Amino acid sequence: MQSFAKFVSSSAHYRPREGMAAFLLHRISGLAVLLFLSIHIVDTSTVYFFPEFYEEFLAVYRAPVFMLLEIALVAGVVYHGLNGFRIALFDLVLPAAWTIERERLSVRLTILLAALLWLPAGLIMGGNFIGYSFLGW
Amino acid sequence: MTALEQTAAPGRPAWMQTAWILMRLSALLLVPMVWIHVLIQDVLVGVHHIDLDYVAMRWASLGWRAYDAALLCFAFAHGVNGLRQVLEDYIHGPRARRVLRILLFLFWLAVTLLGGAAVIGGARS
Repeated sequence: MQSFAKFVSSSAHYRPREGMAAFLLHRISGLAVLLFLSIHIVDTSTVYFFPEFYEEFLAVYRAPVFMLLEIALVAGVVYHGLNGFRIALFDLVLPAAWTIERERLSVRLTILLAALLWLPAGLIMGGNFIGYSFLGW
Repeated sequence: MTALEQTAAPGRPAWMQTAWILMRLSALLLVPMVWIHVLIQDVLVGVHHIDLDYVAMRWASLGWRAYDAALLCFAFAHGVNGLRQVLEDYIHGPRARRVLRILLFLFWLAVTLLGGAAVIGGARS
């Protein structure tokens, strides 16, 4: 765990280049999605084991803070998938085409495309968040 | 040397390359499957319209049940193997890694069995 503490402290004054940023975002989004997925499988399993608890789980997900986390979750899923495609493309399909310039350009394009794909979903979910949290839908 | 060849480096157990290939193959399936799942349930339907009856209605279709079963298998295995890779960047001892792998395997098995039982058993009212 010493290496992890060193990693955290050195990250505070290190500005990552594109490849490092893509790697960090991939890790953070992957771990966050896995955390939600683990909870999501357990909560969904209550529909069979304890049906009376399922609605209580849903009441938690409908809380404003969880609606915001859900919007972030969608951003994580979109980015992690696109970046995974980028990695697999260089690893499996075009290993000979890899250059550091293409790596950096591909990361910028991946983040841009992820933002564009997430935007309409974020707008719809953001509308729901405002409606259900403040307008009494 | 390509990344695929590197994963078969001498001294490395064969299952590591298998896990590496499975990560990428499951990912190819997961991108459309997870995105469609998230688009329908989180964006278009929304958590305020999901309840026990909604799950029962969805799982009345065998196709959606198979879809959810496939998601459970591929997504959760992909995620737990990813967690193993992240933790093994910080945990280096062979004994510690063996314990970690056993714990992660048991975690994967328990949650997958729980979810699998629900997908097969269906929603009860």
